[in-house]
Amino acid sequence: MKTGRLAVLCAAALAAVLGLTACSGFGGGGADDSGQNADTVLGNGRQSLKIISGSENQELEPILEEFSRDSGIRIEMTYQGSLDIMRELEQEETEYDAVWPASSLWLNVGDTGHKVKHAESVSISPVVFGIRQSLAEELGFVGREVSVRDILDAITAGKLKFCMTSATQSNSGASAYIGFLYALLGNPDMITEEDLESPQLQSDIQALFSGVDRSSGSSDWLKDMFLEGGYDAMVNYECLIIQANEELESRGEETLYVVYPYDGLTLADSPLGYVDHGDDKKEEAFLKLQEYLLSAEVQNEIQRTGRRTGYTGIAEENKDVFRTEWGVQPDRVLSVMKMPSTEVLFEALNLYQTDFKKPSLNIYCLDYSGSMAGEGRNQLVAAMEQLLIQENAEKNFLQASKDEVNVLILFDDRVLAEYTAVGSGGELEALYEKVKEQPTGSGTDMYIAADEALNVLQQYDLSQYTPAVILLTDGMSGGSYDAFMEHYREMGEDVPIFSIMFGDADPEQLDELAAATNARVFDGREDLIDAFRKVKGYN
Amino acid sequence: MKAKIAGLGILLLVIVLASAYTLLGKSRETTEISGYVGGEKIGLLEDEEVQKLIERKYHLKIDYSRAGSIEMVTEDHTGMDFLFPSSQTALEIYESQYGNPLKSEIVLNTPIVLYARSVVAEALMSEGIAWEEDGVCYVDMQKLAACIEEGTPWAEIGLPELYGNVSVSTTDPTKSNSGNMFAGLLANTLCGSTADEDSLDEILPRLQTIFQNLGYMESSSSDLFDQFLKTGIGAKPVVAGYENQLLEFAEEDPDTWQQVKDDIRILYPSPTVWSSHVFIALDEQGSAGIDALMDEEVQKMAWDRHGFRTGINGSASDTGQFGVEGIAPEVTRVMNMPDAATMERIIEALE
Repeated sequence: MKTGRLAVLCAAALAAVLGLTACSGFGGGGADDSGQNADTVLGNGRQSLKIISGSENQELEPILEEFSRDSGIRIEMTYQGSLDIMRELEQEETEYDAVWPASSLWLNVGDTGHKVKHAESVSISPVVFGIRQSLAEELGFVGREVSVRDILDAITAGKLKFCMTSATQSNSGASAYIGFLYALLGNPDMITEEDLESPQLQSDIQALFSGVDRSSGSSDWLKDMFLEGGYDAMVNYECLIIQANEELESRGEETLYVVYPYDGLTLADSPLGYVDHGDDKKEEAFLKLQEYLLSAEVQNEIQRTGRRTGYTGIAEENKDVFRTEWGVQPDRVLSVMKMPSTEVLFEALNLYQTDFKKPSLNIYCLDYSGSMAGEGRNQLVAAMEQLLIQENAEKNFLQASKDEVNVLILFDDRVLAEYTAVGSGGELEALYEKVKEQPTGSGTDMYIAADEALNVLQQYDLSQYTPAVILLTDGMSGGSYDAFMEHYREMGEDVPIFSIMFGDADPEQLDELAAATNARVFDGREDLIDAFRKVKGYN
Repeated sequence: MKAKIAGLGILLLVIVLASAYTLLGKSRETTEISGYVGGEKIGLLEDEEVQKLIERKYHLKIDYSRAGSIEMVTEDHTGMDFLFPSSQTALEIYESQYGNPLKSEIVLNTPIVLYARSVVAEALMSEGIAWEEDGVCYVDMQKLAACIEEGTPWAEIGLPELYGNVSVSTTDPTKSNSGNMFAGLLANTLCGSTADEDSLDEILPRLQTIFQNLGYMESSSSDLFDQFLKTGIGAKPVVAGYENQLLEFAEEDPDTWQQVKDDIRILYPSPTVWSSHVFIALDEQGSAGIDALMDEEVQKMAWDRHGFRTGINGSASDTGQFGVEGIAPEVTRVMNMPDAATMERIIEALE
């Protein structure tokens, strides 16, 4: 490693002195360890750029990879919702070299410390509704202008159920939500804080959100979830609906029809900005990447992924991507609604979190088996402290809403105890004592705990809640997966079974459960808060 | 083995060359100064020719962080050598809070203008809200303000493809200068002359309604202009900005300008206001920045390459070079901005 590093240094110095670009003949020392927490690492160059990005840019990885290969600049992508990126920017220190949220709105609001420079829009995509073709036809949405009110009427009449991202985490969800508020308020010139207090609005929007099938923390995950799930509709970027359609078509399944609500449209302008830590080399690497992305050739490649680029609309040669039979309107004038002022916007988002969205019904299954003894148990207890003690939870926007239900099922190879708390008050915080007191037992059967979770769920009217089961475990379990899945299928409800891993975790069994229930597995040892936020985003 | 020796040889060569390089590089000290700069001047400061010239003649490197003109003078700016806001109002606010700065000087000028898509400009002209004179497009601020205040739908002035009411997108007047100046200009327009503290009571509520209906506003003029160009007619039919922004864009990116020039018009508000870019030196090092930027060659580049008018009355020696049609050779119909005390009350009311 030492000599490898020296050789690379030499090569770099030589290149600098002789004015050559970096040559790749030396070294091959490999990436240093800083890429560990990234979702994707592209290339293995010495110079790295850590980018925190909306998940919709996952689709651009091949384009970024090409850059990494040619430039020798390693790109580490971490994906989060745009509002989470905004919160990251608001922190005093951030480890990222660049930010790439879906919309410049969140960049501007988050950049209170003026850390970001060189921000430029990479591409544009409107937030639209993608509705199963036959359903869109049935609803009369094909070939005519549709208002948000038309869509709301279909939802409240029970004819349309849809998925959207969390409005407090992701740009597309927030944009759609603001569009709903305008429509429910009768399209005023501007939404005011007084408007938000209206009890009529409150009951209208709650009725509306009862039509939300599933939610997620960022837009690309929503698309992936949608493709797994057999849902009717989703709110997402035009480019991701196009990509979902390409996938659906290749599977021979029904595609989505794109609806542009004329009175509730927003644009994501995908700004990529540099976070200045005073490192000139990094800045140079960033500008190189930006120049690459904005070059005519790459802009054209990006356009072929269904994003709108450039100044002059969609090129004739790319019209085959923006297919009109899917309802896509490449030449449409994208006239947008106005976003409210930041004060009103954040008041609206707070209300979404605490009052408007369907309350969560979270069932946490906590593993107290023998293999969790020691470190595993300590991690689990510390995790629950972050979640249950509301003062901690609030710091990470994990606080419970007022009608939220949290159930804890403590297990080893049997159910050891079960506790329920409603709302965000003392009842919830008191559960932490129970978590802290429980000693670890003997064998493990997480399926028994998950099975009990299903029994608990059946006591609730699930149309009124967003339910989720979350296993906090090391994943090494006895018991029967098949027996559990039989019960799950019998129940016939779309409930995700997430896992957060601790101790000497083994993801195999957990991955199997997640795949079967359209959920995900997170590693609680690496970034617990992130895992909780992602789980919360999904429910 | 051979490779190892060759490697060693290269290593030695590198060490020799690298030390020679560092020694040579250190023979002349360059001072680096840093400060807050409004986004619209970043193109000038990032211009390599300008940087080289300043480094060669003044041994100076100007580093910056971007900030809105108003927030940079009102918020914490410890550790900075200079502030470079875009109006005298910002200077006056600075003076009222911190007293006289070490040194300050207006180094660049540019008028506030509106940018519109051609179809929007044409609609405004056919409604008599704007007109053309010697190839230059002017907009009647009284009539435009009336449209905004009354909530006239775009459809009513012949643009049914646009959703919502006639409006002008601006930056947040409480944070950024172009929005702030546009607010000043609107205040002047609403009271028919330069607004002062006596006329405020009548116009403040009207201004508040206009700005409230704009909703979310960008905090930087350069972002707003970039969005105007990229997001198309539906997102930003008309924006307020600086004249130099388009000239700089046409100069820096002539290929793109060729593609879009038929679709974009500059509209000069009649009357308009001058944005005077004041360099405020906070310490000795910072004041070297004034000398560098007032350099004759730098001033010439500021117009030729970035579209800043440098003469006091803003007469431009040559407008043909940009390939932009409809640049006013002289900007003569100009009003004074309301004074700082008045502007502070306006900002407060809009906060």
